[in-house]
Amino acid sequence: MTKLHVAEYLDIDVEAERWHCHDCDRDLGPARENYKRGLLVAERDPSEVHPKVIEGEYTFSPNGDWVRLLEFYCPGCGRQVETEYLPAGHPLTRDTDIDIDSIKARIAAGEARINEEGKLEVTL
Amino acid sequence: MTYPTLEQKMQALKVVPASDYERQCVDAIPAGDYEIAVQRTADILDEGYEVFMRSSRSSMGVAGDSIVAMFTAAGDLVNASAGTYLHAVIPPIVIKYILARHAENPGINDGDIWYTNDALYGGIHNPDQVAMMPVFFDGELVAWTAALSHTTETGAIEPGGMPLSATSRFEEGMNLPPMRVGQNFSINDDVLEMFAAFGIRAEANVTVDMRARATTADRVRVRLLEMFEREGKEFVTGLFRRMLDDAEAGARARISSWADGTFRCVNFSDAAGLTQGLLRNCQMELTKKGDHLTIDFTGTSPETPSSYNAHPQAVVGHLANYIYEYVFHDLPISSATFAPIDFIFPENSMLSPDARAATSNAVMAASGAMSAIANCISRARFGSTDWRQVTASQGNGGNASVLAGVSQWGAFFADMIAYPINTEGQGAHATSDGMDAYGFPWCAFGRAPDVESMENEFPMLIPMSSHWRDSGGAGKYRGGVGTAQLWVTHHAPYVFAMAIADNSIVQTPQPLFGGYSQPTVPGVVLNGINVTEALATAESGTLTLEALLAGEFGGTPTSSTYGSAIHPVNGGDSIIIGLSTGGTGYGDPLDREIDSIDQDLVKQLVSPESAVHLYGAVLDRNGRVDRDATIGRRAEIVAERLARGVPYDEFEAAWSERKPDDSILGLFGHWPDGAVVTPLMRP
Repeated sequence: MTKLHVAEYLDIDVEAERWHCHDCDRDLGPARENYKRGLLVAERDPSEVHPKVIEGEYTFSPNGDWVRLLEFYCPGCGRQVETEYLPAGHPLTRDTDIDIDSIKARIAAGEARINEEGKLEVTL
Repeated sequence: MTYPTLEQKMQALKVVPASDYERQCVDAIPAGDYEIAVQRTADILDEGYEVFMRSSRSSMGVAGDSIVAMFTAAGDLVNASAGTYLHAVIPPIVIKYILARHAENPGINDGDIWYTNDALYGGIHNPDQVAMMPVFFDGELVAWTAALSHTTETGAIEPGGMPLSATSRFEEGMNLPPMRVGQNFSINDDVLEMFAAFGIRAEANVTVDMRARATTADRVRVRLLEMFEREGKEFVTGLFRRMLDDAEAGARARISSWADGTFRCVNFSDAAGLTQGLLRNCQMELTKKGDHLTIDFTGTSPETPSSYNAHPQAVVGHLANYIYEYVFHDLPISSATFAPIDFIFPENSMLSPDARAATSNAVMAASGAMSAIANCISRARFGSTDWRQVTASQGNGGNASVLAGVSQWGAFFADMIAYPINTEGQGAHATSDGMDAYGFPWCAFGRAPDVESMENEFPMLIPMSSHWRDSGGAGKYRGGVGTAQLWVTHHAPYVFAMAIADNSIVQTPQPLFGGYSQPTVPGVVLNGINVTEALATAESGTLTLEALLAGEFGGTPTSSTYGSAIHPVNGGDSIIIGLSTGGTGYGDPLDREIDSIDQDLVKQLVSPESAVHLYGAVLDRNGRVDRDATIGRRAEIVAERLARGVPYDEFEAAWSERKPDDSILGLFGHWPDGAVVTPLMRP
């Protein structure tokens, strides 16, 4: 077992050092880089997802002039891998950097293994 | 002044190394006796917690927004009963300050009652107050006890203890550095009078809560002494040290089981006190290496000219809220569990402000940290065998309403209404929906009082109190929904009201793994009707949030920010439609089980419109989900995503050229890194 299931829709192939979609297995790029670079991005006005319900400046939807809703899709299966609410132009968050070398070292030392669920299991 | 520096506060969180004597005591504990004695400490503390709730007067004290704790003689927290995990880690800062500063003058003696509510010295904010008692056995200081809770009046510029309009600590009412308020097991009368004077708006709340803290600390002290007398000093000393050892070892083992890496989250809020503006409420970078965590807040917006600031240890307390509820839930409530965690706080940020800063709404300032820690830790542990404990963030709205005036019983009162804040929805889990109306993210064990109790306590009629449909963030697993209430002045000509919020324009928590956040929380009032008359004359209809907003009971809903300064509300008028936010969602909404959508519709937790637009449901003529048609519609939505999505690099190139309007960036700091542009000047 070399694929670590690190997020609901993301695997890392530890040996090949590649991100993969957990659902369709699409290769999403080098595991030492931001996985989002392998995804598609769509910008939406928050009110498309959060109905305003009432009229006026203050509603039940975030104000689209303040924040935008970003959706990140797997280009293979269209799975919505991540979402983020950001002000327009705000740097996109590189939310996950897994230390590949550390995982390899722990497995090599017999300290941990990737189990049948694709999870890192400490064995010592 | 000698208030502790940031470095001293962070150092005080670390456990004092064991002495040779303590190690000998640990080694001498007989096998089997340790586990029994650990449980005994928990029993003592649970008794104290029960005493505390039954002795308190403020709504939050009665609701259980409190903690009861015991410490080593050196001030390290050994175990506690909660309540709120907000205080589960940081009280050693205060006790260690007392030991370092006041051991000689005025001295620390058997029967002393020590007290503080000043966050500059180590607390959360000045409504949160702590009574501490040293425990002497055979003339030697052997332990400390403490009782901490939130009292909803401090004599500040506005009632309720969390003034929106305070711009510095000098407008926040009572701020007491650690001081001795009682001797010989009795509170000094002159000190009690001082509390009464600061609490003149709600004297009973302030003085009774103060007595409750001292009573509770003393109850735990008495029970601990019984333990010392029964088991001996050597045993209890060894017990305490081993509990600290085990707590730290347990925390390190838990952290070690996750993959090493770095995890980041950024979130935003929309106000500082009464000033609107976009804030980067928290920029968090969490680095996990081996059995150690480093949490860096660099990039969080500058300190604000309002009470929406939090001193660093208050931020640590907010992290403990999440960490103890979801990560260290099976470990003793002890400062030792945070030994493997270090923090980096940027100077003059809203999470590390100047000493003059107002911090009475620290809970608003730190809501971003409380949300980001859920996000970062969930990313860190999903790849481990711990993954079933992963959750999306709580809503962390904390939309609190404060009422003040003269009650129907002729008594002065000023109090925070406990029901709304104790019925927020829970963040969704990796394997299930968040719990609906689960509670208060700041106090996992807080209890929402019955509507009838509130109507008896305050001059209020609460004709509606129900789940708030569509308030849970959508996802494969849905955030729990919060609640909606209607608050109407009743049995009094008027009351004063204010509300606390920073989520009427943007919501702070980020969702997880493709889910959505919860809605924003507007302040809605009904203009043009007397609610009690409208209810009395209504011929039919069910009082729901949707019916009220649609004007079915008359009046015109008018919205503003949920946060509002203190203002009078006449009898029969609605104070506000109280809204308690839902939790954030987890996973792609198109992944949600179709049966779960159907159940949400039946329970009226999700509207038909949301079922269609967010979950891709196709409804039949009876309003139930058509399974086959829904599968087809979801395939169409996936195709729409693939058509509108653009490659990341292409998107980022265009995106990075944009910027929000400068009119909303006055509180943000330098764009886009949030650095301090102009240091605040406070008179």
